[in-house]
Amino acid sequence: MLEASGVMVFYENMLALNNIDLNCPDNGVIGIFGANSAGKSTLMYALSGIILDIQHKEKMRGGERISLFGEIRHNGEAITGLKAHQRAQRGIVLCPERRRLFPESSVFENLAIGGHLATRAQARETMAFVMELFPALKKLTRRAAGFLSGGEQQMVAIGRALMAQPKVLLLDEPLLGLAPSIQHIVVESIPQIRKERNISVIVTEQYARPVIPYVDYAYIIENGSAVMEGTSRELFENPDIKAAYFGCG
Amino acid sequence: MSEPFKQRRRERIDRGVKVRSASIYALNSLEEIGYLLAPRMLLTCCFLFMPLALSPWPYWGRVGLSVCILALLSISFDFLANYVGLVSLGGAFFYGIGGYISAICNTEFGLPPFLAILVATILGAMICTIALLPCLPLRGIYFAIVTLMYPLLMIRLIEAFDILGGTEGFRGIDGFNSFWTEQYGLVLGLLVALFALRRFVNTDAGLVVRAVKDNDQSVRASGISVTRTKAKAVFLASLTGCFAGAYYIHMYSNVGISSFALDLSIMPIAATIIGGSGTLVGPVIGAAILVPLSELLRDFGSLRIVVYALVLTGFVVFRSEGLMNFLTRKYQQIERWVDIR
Repeated sequence: MLEASGVMVFYENMLALNNIDLNCPDNGVIGIFGANSAGKSTLMYALSGIILDIQHKEKMRGGERISLFGEIRHNGEAITGLKAHQRAQRGIVLCPERRRLFPESSVFENLAIGGHLATRAQARETMAFVMELFPALKKLTRRAAGFLSGGEQQMVAIGRALMAQPKVLLLDEPLLGLAPSIQHIVVESIPQIRKERNISVIVTEQYARPVIPYVDYAYIIENGSAVMEGTSRELFENPDIKAAYFGCG
Repeated sequence: MSEPFKQRRRERIDRGVKVRSASIYALNSLEEIGYLLAPRMLLTCCFLFMPLALSPWPYWGRVGLSVCILALLSISFDFLANYVGLVSLGGAFFYGIGGYISAICNTEFGLPPFLAILVATILGAMICTIALLPCLPLRGIYFAIVTLMYPLLMIRLIEAFDILGGTEGFRGIDGFNSFWTEQYGLVLGLLVALFALRRFVNTDAGLVVRAVKDNDQSVRASGISVTRTKAKAVFLASLTGCFAGAYYIHMYSNVGISSFALDLSIMPIAATIIGGSGTLVGPVIGAAILVPLSELLRDFGSLRIVVYALVLTGFVVFRSEGLMNFLTRKYQQIERWVDIR
């Protein structure tokens, strides 16, 4: 169970996240929907701990000062001060926006790097699961990841995150720039991951329609604030939300 | 008597005078003109008064000139690395080419020092640009390695073929006729180079140069030749480097293969890091710290390299933004605690 309470992030004087409360139960799928610059990625960075790394780098560079407030708890323990790699060891693994693969390594190597935290047996088993989840990758294992299509890269990215044996998988805009048919394959994998790996998934998207059927509970973020939350049915029936995030009036 | 717990955040905001002087109305008030001019005048005056202040001690006068020489090379490095995206380790190449051409102009053709320096600066920059032309498509470490090779190559060529005076170099080059011309010639050269380059990077041509650093494919897609843009930028940087080299040899009346020494390529990097990369003024400040520091540490013999390395490592690890970026922020912004919620 991953909980966030009162999370606030300032980029210099700009409030990127305003008092976000979030609750992700075990084996649940949570959706976070919002437009560009709503704060989705910042929230994912805050949950995964990458924000601490960004904060440090900006400080060394003399760039923006990033201020963080609030608390994040995993299974009741506060993990607010833990760095990204420590959170990954606890099972909170981010699959970053725009995939961020290791472009010069092969698909197999990308997955193997992701499996650094896993035991040998776990890695072998997870690798088989990823290939079963995305059969398209089977033929590509020796190919350099940088030369794959966008959809295949996204599959590799999700696979790489799964290799780290997550308990909470954070998917940041997994459908970014994908064709509708590929979006379908990626989205379909979410319930399968949840069922077979028995883990929670938090997924962010701008356009909620493809994702909403697979989400238990969702939050709508606007300008850094959670303006609405509810089960997928509740949100789907709200006319304002429907117009803004489901593309139908 | 316990205060309720409040979360606070340290806020940075621009000073009022900074915001006001950012617009064209800055010219309406003396305060804002003063705010804009103060740092520029401070630097200019420091350098203009330096020869006067140092005139009783000729040794330290020479140290002051060494500051200017290193500052020129560092500006050239900073401009190429942080505005064009070409990390050049060939500072010594510019320097040596400038030095040798000026020596030849003076000894063979009998040109007076200032004319020889002028010819060496322009002709040297042309030669350097043409020599570097084949490497311009390279980026990052490849460009760095190739430019590092050039001065080493020159040393070996001069040794092997015994050209350009061989290992002896040229001697008996004319010096400057007085202490003051020597001092002010270089100080003015430095100030002109600094302010001209600062102006250049904000002109339209300078914007294109900076765009090449950000994304050369987009520049190409806009119909601009990347290689030509880079060549122009290298020409400007080598003007600065060649001037430094040409000036230096007239100060000491001889030139040799030490003009291509590796130090001259490496020291500018140190000065740029300490002063703040990407500021152009930063490298000048860095040079003004490094050169006197290394003179003061001369008594420690080879231990001075240790101190030197520690200072540099400290800056890289703890203040990689550099002095100039830090000072700019302090000058332009105030900090205060604000409550949140």
